[in-house]
Amino acid sequence: MGRLSVIIAAILIAIGLSSLLVVNEGERAIVSRFGKILKDDGVTRIYKPGLHIKLPLVDKIKLLDSRIQTMDGAADRFVTSEKKDLMVDSYVKWRIKDHEKYYLATNGGNKVQAESLLQRKINNDLRTEFGRRTIRDIVSGSRDELQQDALRNASDSAKDLGIEVVDVRVKQINLPANVSSSIYQRMRAERTAVAKEHRAQGREQSEIIRAKTDASVTIQIAEAERKALAVRGEGDAIAAKIYADAYNKDPEFYSFLRSLEAYKASFEGGSNVMVLEPDSDFFKYMKHANGK
Amino acid sequence: MAWNEPGNKGQDPWGNKNGNDKGPPDLDEVFKNISKRFGGKGNGSGGGFSALGFVIVLGIAVVVWGLSGFYTVKEAEKGVALRFGQYIGQVEPGLQWKATFIDEVYPVNVSNVRSIPASGSMLTADENVVLVELDVQYIVVDPYRYMFSAVDANSSLREATDSALRYVVGHNKMDDILTTGRDQIRRDTWDEVNRIIEPYNLGIEIRDVNFLPARPPEEVKDAFDDAISAQEDEQRFIREAEAYSREIEPKARGTVQRMEQQANAYKQREILEARGKVVRFEQLLPEYKAAPEVTRNRLYIDAMSKVYSGANKVLVDAKSNGNMMYLPLDKLMEQGKSSKQPKTVVNDTSTDSVNSVVNSVGIPLDGRPSRSDNIRQGRN
Repeated sequence: MGRLSVIIAAILIAIGLSSLLVVNEGERAIVSRFGKILKDDGVTRIYKPGLHIKLPLVDKIKLLDSRIQTMDGAADRFVTSEKKDLMVDSYVKWRIKDHEKYYLATNGGNKVQAESLLQRKINNDLRTEFGRRTIRDIVSGSRDELQQDALRNASDSAKDLGIEVVDVRVKQINLPANVSSSIYQRMRAERTAVAKEHRAQGREQSEIIRAKTDASVTIQIAEAERKALAVRGEGDAIAAKIYADAYNKDPEFYSFLRSLEAYKASFEGGSNVMVLEPDSDFFKYMKHANGK
Repeated sequence: MAWNEPGNKGQDPWGNKNGNDKGPPDLDEVFKNISKRFGGKGNGSGGGFSALGFVIVLGIAVVVWGLSGFYTVKEAEKGVALRFGQYIGQVEPGLQWKATFIDEVYPVNVSNVRSIPASGSMLTADENVVLVELDVQYIVVDPYRYMFSAVDANSSLREATDSALRYVVGHNKMDDILTTGRDQIRRDTWDEVNRIIEPYNLGIEIRDVNFLPARPPEEVKDAFDDAISAQEDEQRFIREAEAYSREIEPKARGTVQRMEQQANAYKQREILEARGKVVRFEQLLPEYKAAPEVTRNRLYIDAMSKVYSGANKVLVDAKSNGNMMYLPLDKLMEQGKSSKQPKTVVNDTSTDSVNSVVNSVGIPLDGRPSRSDNIRQGRN
């Protein structure tokens, strides 16, 4: 009796519990009864977060994630308009918009299937967008526009899946190895040019400074020389005037004295040989004591 | 079926997917105790529950359930409360109570500043590659949105940051990124991240973006270093030139001064010498005027004797015979060299003596001594 009541109670509790449906935040639930989705007036009944009642054993619950989901595939190779390869890593943010459509289109809310469908569509769009643009355009020009276009196209095509594409973004754009190495070479060359330019500019400045210095020094010294010569000339002139003033008092006597000095000076040293006739004034008395 | 039965997670009514599905541990014990005491096999008192026993068990269960509802929320946290999975509000820090099995509370730290790094090599606007690193610091401002708007708010932010950083770097020139425009890039990235995450509704707020110094890639680092050292070299060349100027200009000024002084000295010397010589002439002149003939002769004879005394002489009286004669001049020259005669110097200092005037050595009367103008040589 007691044991039976316990069993009955347990069964009742189990039934009670299994007829409750708890939907968490960030989820929505779709209930299918005997495989048929429950609808109110033709619109699928979407169970919002909270506690709901369902028929035990009969109703099948499909919980659908209503949060924003991220689809981040591996980097993919794209070809630009100049036929260069780019490795592009992008991500897509999406959320379920039309739960019923999503549920039907993805084989009962199969996320993997949804994403692979979406991925294919978006990659297609991106490929088209990339193919229309140059690398420069993609990297620094219209990346925003590209993303917007991809987002628009993706949104259109994702409607069939009941998905709203929130955002399509290019995360990374990497160049393949061969392009990278040529970029490195160019960077290196640019830097080398910059280095050379700096050094040359330094030499130029240095040369200018030195030349200016040398020039100013040369000018200073030349100027000083000019002044010095002028001063010396003045000295010479004054001295000459002094001499002239004095010697003009008796020029003849001066030239006499000066000549004597000159004779003395020119016959200095012992390497002179003179051949003389004794008839000069000096030898006046050598023949005759009275000088005749 | 019990919802804390092992191996039954998939059908857990609370839909806990994060596996922290720990029913209150004390409850298990309680059940065990109950079954031991009342429904246990070794208990032969008629079997089954008595009404009293049932009430007691129920009472204990209620008390245990009540007690199990107490929990605390830390000061730095806010709790996100869900009733049967539905959001019912935010729980403030402190001691709180919830109805176990009905309510769930997830504490979310809203004070802790979290950070997300982003780094990598990126293309710049001028098609160069730079290595950039930054980290974004953020806090959670809305725990509910943080938990339920996106599958993983943190990784959403990370992706947004990656994308924003590359976008901004791609729109700036390498030189700006490496040097001057870093602050601008930091701010642009910040704005861009905000713009990206706005539609995601993540419930987080970016507090700061730290932009670490960007570097050129390793492959070209040496060339960059060289460019930097070239800038240093540029400065160095200029400084060296300036040093040269500073060295040579004073030297030049010194030279200029020296030249001026030398010229002045020369001028003064010439004048003074002229005056000196003129004084001697002018002193001699009156003597000469007084006795011209005698003075003249004396001076002449003195001078000639000096001239002839220092030379080899051959006296030829050629008028007496007209014969040619042979003079071995070269022999005579050699003789002259070997038999140098010392110059006789008479120094007589009496000023009014004619002697002293003529015989004093060294200064000829016209005052142009045959020596260089170099003043340093001086005169003794």
